[in-house]
Amino acid sequence: MADAKTWARVKSPWVLHFNSGACNGCDIEIVALLTPKYDVERFGIKLEPSPRHADILLVTGAVTNQCAERLKRVYDQMPQPKFVVAIGACACSGGVFAGTYNTLGGVDKVIPVSAYIPGCPPRPEAIIDGCVKLLNAINPPKKKKRKQVNGIKEATKSEVVPVVMEVKQDGKQ
Amino acid sequence: MSFILDPVLIFRILVFPGFTFIFFLTLFCDWVERKLEARIQNRVGPMVAGPGGILQPLADFIKLLSKEDIEPRDAKKLVFRIAPIAAFSIMVFAMCFIPIDGASVLSTGGFNGDLIIILVFSTVANFLLFLAGWASANPYGTIGAARVLTQFLGYDIPFLLLALTPAFLAGSLSIFQIAGSAWPAILLAPWAFVLFIITLQAELERDPFDVPHSDSEVVGGLETEYTGAKLAFLHLTRDIQVVFGSALVVTLFLGGPSGPVFFGLDWFWYTLWFVLKLLVVIVISEYITTVVARLRIDQVLTGNWKILLPAAIISLIVAVALVTWVYHPLGIGV
Repeated sequence: MADAKTWARVKSPWVLHFNSGACNGCDIEIVALLTPKYDVERFGIKLEPSPRHADILLVTGAVTNQCAERLKRVYDQMPQPKFVVAIGACACSGGVFAGTYNTLGGVDKVIPVSAYIPGCPPRPEAIIDGCVKLLNAINPPKKKKRKQVNGIKEATKSEVVPVVMEVKQDGKQ
Repeated sequence: MSFILDPVLIFRILVFPGFTFIFFLTLFCDWVERKLEARIQNRVGPMVAGPGGILQPLADFIKLLSKEDIEPRDAKKLVFRIAPIAAFSIMVFAMCFIPIDGASVLSTGGFNGDLIIILVFSTVANFLLFLAGWASANPYGTIGAARVLTQFLGYDIPFLLLALTPAFLAGSLSIFQIAGSAWPAILLAPWAFVLFIITLQAELERDPFDVPHSDSEVVGGLETEYTGAKLAFLHLTRDIQVVFGSALVVTLFLGGPSGPVFFGLDWFWYTLWFVLKLLVVIVISEYITTVVARLRIDQVLTGNWKILLPAAIISLIVAVALVTWVYHPLGIGV
């Protein structure tokens, strides 16, 4: 029964997108995920309109002072179990806005974050990779360890929350 | 009460073609829709859960069941809790009247007038969905619920009138007799079939009539405030409404489960023909959903009252005239 639950959670992660003051670069990349070229519905990932329906909160942007309260409220409105993915350099650490008077500099100053996906903006492949790693952290695959691909380590142990990853930018930019 | 303890009847109600079969048929049809929509949009759709993603709707359902259940403080608790499961139960009960394997689930032959009963059930289910949104104490839920009811004013009368056309052609209000008539209604009244499919899109709240739960305007519509198991049953109600609507088209217009029986086990072939016809209707419906854009609520109402209602009345008049002066004297469809 517990196996079925975990299986269902991993196969059906519904996401909610929240922009906490981003420049829209990361948001466009998230939209690119849902459109035909990258189509994350393959993994069962669906963009939901209401925080009540969502399992994963995708946050972009260095959290502005005004936005922090709203971000917290949206997070509180989501039902357990819930995960937060910080997408982009700003959401991870404040990015170029770090230290400014009107931002908090990073999503983890307000709500707990399960996975960080750096990049300005991160490529859609990096976001997919981050999401898949988060899902693998929830339900580690029983097969043998996969090889390292492009220097990206697999998150294999369970309970690796928060998952911190380093995604190399490829040469093309 | 030997009626209640009859093992065959219990098997028919609980397993095949009753609850379990209808449940999995609904999930399967949901998968077909998602996959088809994805392919039309040049995507691949669900792939990871099960072969070809066929277990995706089941995964969604189990996941929603296992989520935390949040009730807003201001929600009307009783209605908020009961409405989703009641709507689902009524839709399953309505499906039990449809002759899936050559006979309806509850009794073998149905009774005269059960067509009216199941149309009433589908109306009641829609009304329960309205109550579900209304009780959730959320502005978007309330707007979505109000739109459900507003749209309902538009399509329900043409829907009933068009459902009566095949009933008149078959000369009976019994679903079983309509499905078993010599000529399926699509051959005798093809215009009614087209109109019925259009009205069905409104009944099922799908494009171009998906005003009540348009994401870009009213967030989740009446589902906005629902989480966990209640949301799972709201989703399932929507999916089973699609199956029910398509099953109604199959039964009224496409001859229901009737088809050639090749060897042995006639119920197997009846079920096969029924599901195949059901998939054809679902493909048509999903195709319309994917290729057209959404109308505004006032356009939906005006269109339904100014175009669909007169068309439905004319359709019924033409069917009556044809049956009286053409079909019966020539011995067609009798």
